[in-house]
Amino acid sequence: MSETSYSVLGIYETPDALMKAIPEVRASKLGTVEAYTPYPIHGIEEALGLRRSPLGGMVLVMGVLGAITAFGFEYWISAVDYPIITGGKGAGSWEAFIPIMFEVTVLFATFTAGLGMLFLLNKLPFFGHPVLSSKSITGITRDRYVLALEAEDESFDSVAAAKALRAAGAVEVEVLPAPDRSPFLTSDFILRTLGGIFAACVVSGLAMFFATKWFPLLPPMRYMEDQPRLNAQKPSAFFKDGHGMQRPVAGTVTRGHLPTATGTQEAAASLVNPLPRTKEVFAIGRKVFANRCEVCHGAIGNGMGSLTAAYGGKPANLQAQQFRDYPDGKIYWVIVNGKNAMPSHAADLTETQRWAVVHYVRALQRAQNAKDEDLKVVAP
Amino acid sequence: MSQNKNTSTMLWGAVALGAIGVLVSYRAAGLERFWANWVLWFVLMFTLGLGSLFLVALEHLVNAKWSVPVRRIPERIATLLLPAIPVGLIALCALPVLYPGSRPEAAQHPILAGKAFWLSLPFFSVRTLIAFGLCVLGLAVLVGGSLKQDTTGDPAFNARARKFAPAFMAIFALVITLVAFDWISGLTPEWYSDILGVYVFAGAFLGGLAATTLSVLYLQDQGRLEGVRSDHLYNLGGFLFAFTVFWSYIGFAQYMLMWYANLPDEVIYYKLRLAGSWRAITVSLAVLHFILPFFALVTRDSKKDPKRLRMVACLMLGAHFLDIYWLIFPALGTGPLFSWPELSFALFFLGGILLWIRGAMQKGEDMPVGDPFLREGLEFRL
Repeated sequence: MSETSYSVLGIYETPDALMKAIPEVRASKLGTVEAYTPYPIHGIEEALGLRRSPLGGMVLVMGVLGAITAFGFEYWISAVDYPIITGGKGAGSWEAFIPIMFEVTVLFATFTAGLGMLFLLNKLPFFGHPVLSSKSITGITRDRYVLALEAEDESFDSVAAAKALRAAGAVEVEVLPAPDRSPFLTSDFILRTLGGIFAACVVSGLAMFFATKWFPLLPPMRYMEDQPRLNAQKPSAFFKDGHGMQRPVAGTVTRGHLPTATGTQEAAASLVNPLPRTKEVFAIGRKVFANRCEVCHGAIGNGMGSLTAAYGGKPANLQAQQFRDYPDGKIYWVIVNGKNAMPSHAADLTETQRWAVVHYVRALQRAQNAKDEDLKVVAP
Repeated sequence: MSQNKNTSTMLWGAVALGAIGVLVSYRAAGLERFWANWVLWFVLMFTLGLGSLFLVALEHLVNAKWSVPVRRIPERIATLLLPAIPVGLIALCALPVLYPGSRPEAAQHPILAGKAFWLSLPFFSVRTLIAFGLCVLGLAVLVGGSLKQDTTGDPAFNARARKFAPAFMAIFALVITLVAFDWISGLTPEWYSDILGVYVFAGAFLGGLAATTLSVLYLQDQGRLEGVRSDHLYNLGGFLFAFTVFWSYIGFAQYMLMWYANLPDEVIYYKLRLAGSWRAITVSLAVLHFILPFFALVTRDSKKDPKRLRMVACLMLGAHFLDIYWLIFPALGTGPLFSWPELSFALFFLGGILLWIRGAMQKGEDMPVGDPFLREGLEFRL
């Protein structure tokens, strides 16, 4: 009997009798002392010698971590990764972060409190506690106060435990068998759980499908579609000109696209390329040339791009002597303002990209008209 | 006994010294500064008393049993409302000096003209008198009734107080909003904030709580509150802890909305308080009124620890002073003023407040001995 029993319950009729019994039973040192009562009894924690729960500290740490996490995410996205100035507020405006920091702090803290209590401290999942299937449980939930001596190891002596409980005033004693400790996550259990989830998904999906099919006047969330809004490329009665999309105010320049070369091409001849001739700059220029220029001007700038063959246009041959003699500023001017059939690229390219592509065009020209001294190996 | 006498001599000395300074500052420090100090101390006294009375009413409202043994303390502090009334009546003289809405030229002002009736001297005074009357009513029912119960032991008082408490909540909301809107927001009538009343309420309740906690600890040291245990202290500490968060929540909510909207007539309030030396005071207010007390009281044991509680309560009272100072003084349009006029006002009023509370603490029973729930309150365990 002693090797299979899990614990011995001693039943008391009043809370005072229970409180009086606790020190005596604890002094017997036969096992862990645990109490089951219908309602909380003041002072029972101290009497049982329960340790302070570590939950409070866990919640504090996780709450602070939540605040730091939220701040880090927000600072990273709005000040480092994708800084957009809205409403005239600086990129790292901490004031705007506070509400979200507050929410995430609460989220981390409550999740830690709830899940930490259930899984870390109460050790769920757990099908049932042996006390729940005892005969005394009806009394515990009504008007009986139970003290349990629980086995700490194999040497637990239930007879001695029952004697100690009776000696401390128990009116009745119940011996509980060891609980069923068979593995919890069996394959059968997992299959049934997954199957249940799958079946629930199928049923609710089908129900949704037929509900919206048979009752077309009741589509969920229809009101989101019907809201008044402006669609790009669609007419709208909201603005006077009837367009949903409005032109930017005259003279608007995208951030980073200043200054635009104005005036005549001749006047732009004196502009000096501000970029150094470095590998990085040539890499930018090469990329822009491949994306924007190559289709017409060709990969080596000789005016034989793929569109030339298809549509019979006549783009400039950048290798011609006329263009090799152009100063940088005049090429820059054409990129910004366009020339003949070539459109302006001012809206597409930033200042850096424009000058980088000028460098790249110069490199193409030199590569096709190399001199002997270009063959000299340059020390890296 | 001699020590008792020494303390009261010292307090009377402080009051006398302060009174001289106050009189001199009326002549020498400029009227605006004099009246700003006067209004500051009126608001402080009034909010301390009102916050304590709110605590009493709250306990009746929710039928709290744990607080019955310490209820006499906030009841006594609430009587501060009585000396605050004459101080407030004198403060009405500050209206033409400090409050732009009460000056004759307000009628020509594009914004103030619309509020002329509300801000005018007669209606302002009438409102203040009504607020004082309502406070006296609350004192008479809640505190007077409780004192009477000491001798009669009539349990009908508990039922009456519980019926009156909800009505007092409405009265309290009205009065504290009037304090915030009239006496504080009225200094800058072109600026307004709907939430300022709640902000002042949070500060007032914290002030009342801190004064109550400090007095409870003081009386406990003298062995006069036998039966009040760490369980009762824990509840007071828990209240203090919770309301530091509430105060900062409200304070930050007001700041963030104004900062976001960035409307000139609203942000001017923070523009003033974040410029120059006021910035240091604003930051230290956040630290002293929220961060320090929050972390000082965050653990379970610290809310029961008399030493810790005493420190936090003192800090809270200091922070409450700083809070009201921060609300009122920037309206003078200067940097933070703190020299002999402010010190003499502090000596005079602080000495007066302490004398009043000392006197109140020595009268009658230390616990509501006639309350039928006293025993249950003494048996309270967490």
